[in-house]
Amino acid sequence: MRNGEIRIRDAGVSYRLYREKVTTLKEAVVNRFRHLRSAEVFWALRHVSLTIEPGETIALVGHNGSGKSTLLKTIAGVLPPSEGEVLVEGRISPMIELGAGFDPELSGRDNIYLNGALLGFSRKQMDAKFDRIVAFSELADFIDMPVKNYSSGMYARLGFAIAQDVEPEILIVDEVLAVGDERFQEKCKARIRDFRTAGVTFCFVSHNFEAARELCSRSAVLHHGRLAFDGPIEQGWQRYRELEQGPVPGPQIEAG
Amino acid sequence: MTEVAERAPAAPAPTPARGSALAELLRYRQLVAMLVVRELKVRYKRSVLGLLWTMLNPLLLMVVYTVVFATIMRTAERNFAIFVLSGLLPWLFFSVSLVQGLNSILANQELIRKIRIPQAVFPLSVVGSNLVNFALSLLPLLLLMAVLRQPIRPALLFVPVAMLILAIFTTGATLLLATFTVFFRDVRHLTEVLLQMLLYLSPVFYNLQVLPQRDAWWFQALQLALRLNPLSYLFALVRDPIFYGRLPAAQVAGIAVAAAGLLLVLGFAVFQRLSPRHIHYL
Repeated sequence: MRNGEIRIRDAGVSYRLYREKVTTLKEAVVNRFRHLRSAEVFWALRHVSLTIEPGETIALVGHNGSGKSTLLKTIAGVLPPSEGEVLVEGRISPMIELGAGFDPELSGRDNIYLNGALLGFSRKQMDAKFDRIVAFSELADFIDMPVKNYSSGMYARLGFAIAQDVEPEILIVDEVLAVGDERFQEKCKARIRDFRTAGVTFCFVSHNFEAARELCSRSAVLHHGRLAFDGPIEQGWQRYRELEQGPVPGPQIEAG
Repeated sequence: MTEVAERAPAAPAPTPARGSALAELLRYRQLVAMLVVRELKVRYKRSVLGLLWTMLNPLLLMVVYTVVFATIMRTAERNFAIFVLSGLLPWLFFSVSLVQGLNSILANQELIRKIRIPQAVFPLSVVGSNLVNFALSLLPLLLLMAVLRQPIRPALLFVPVAMLILAIFTTGATLLLATFTVFFRDVRHLTEVLLQMLLYLSPVFYNLQVLPQRDAWWFQALQLALRLNPLSYLFALVRDPIFYGRLPAAQVAGIAVAAAGLLLVLGFAVFQRLSPRHIHYL
């Protein structure tokens, strides 16, 4: 596989729906571990096959609960697929939730290093990036303050500043552009366009057609966990609208 | 814009999901170090005495136990304070690591849901930060030894090795319990209760050699428990050089190393096996 390539083959992610959630040993022993056998299986994603080439830009489209986030999480490697295969080659920058790894008690400075380490960078590598990250975030005056004192906008700015500097080969963006003021949003969008020109594979989740069309050429439409359409963004959006007006199939639950 | 293209090519890229689990964990060793520092920083933030607490805490406990055992129960051991401390420090390291470590996956679940990292870094960093505390608490012990005129022998140089072996054992136990706790939350409570019992089934406040020999059944039972308890051997590695000023017997050291190695391999294998399923139970 080449760097920046994503290959998804017949992938499915299932969650067990317990009629009762069993989290203590006593409950498990009392019903003799019956819950393990009788759980129903809910497929958040099933039979999805998708190949994304290096440098491609793709928008994932679908209603709430269609499986977009689940798909992103499997690509990011956080959620292993229950069936099928998800192969990802290259460094991923997950902009799924900005500042996910921040420790509120630590300063912005410490959090930059901590976040870098979470993404697999050494202290030395982060030293080289530090000034650029601070400059991008425009938080130089607050960098030694604990991040719990940051406003939510500042928090997200620092998060984006780190995520944009990890030299990604695959960029995953999940509705994070709604943060910060308008000027900072524009700065983020410009940065993402830079990545596109540089040939970074780009997966984008948005409910905003304008934003998606501006940044992506291809779209994948998810509908109740299935891939309903894969193709150019205009047609994809049309298909998405049609599906929204059609009858809603029930959730795919199977007896275990 | 060409800003991206101009940047230096990425340094050795941490590509995901390749190589063995061990190699992956090794790549994240700096993260473990950083989490250790974070834990220490956050723990002592806004406390005036800061790191001093690490040293004061076992000393205060030692005073309590010495008073109880030496005065009230009239244990006839010379320098009983040092005897207690040389058992208490390894015990505190083991038990505190275990209790904090088994909770570490749950405590970091927000992160585990969002960023792909080898989850073993969390229990490992707990053991690491407690190892730092352990090392720091040796300073007041040395001071006390000087004050009480306890002979300081070259065997003391073995203590770091002993700590390392104990840390390996503790890591294995912590990995095992950390993953079980994700599936059954009551592992935490069970462990806390069992640790209370284990404290008295381990040679912390006494040694069999120190107790007068008896034929009573309970003494035989205690003897058996101590012989079967791997902590007896591990703790002896620390106490022998500190209190008796000698190296531990080869047989004791052998059993301790074997127990530590086995538990680490078992703990890591089970953790690696079960950790992909954690996310469904967080």
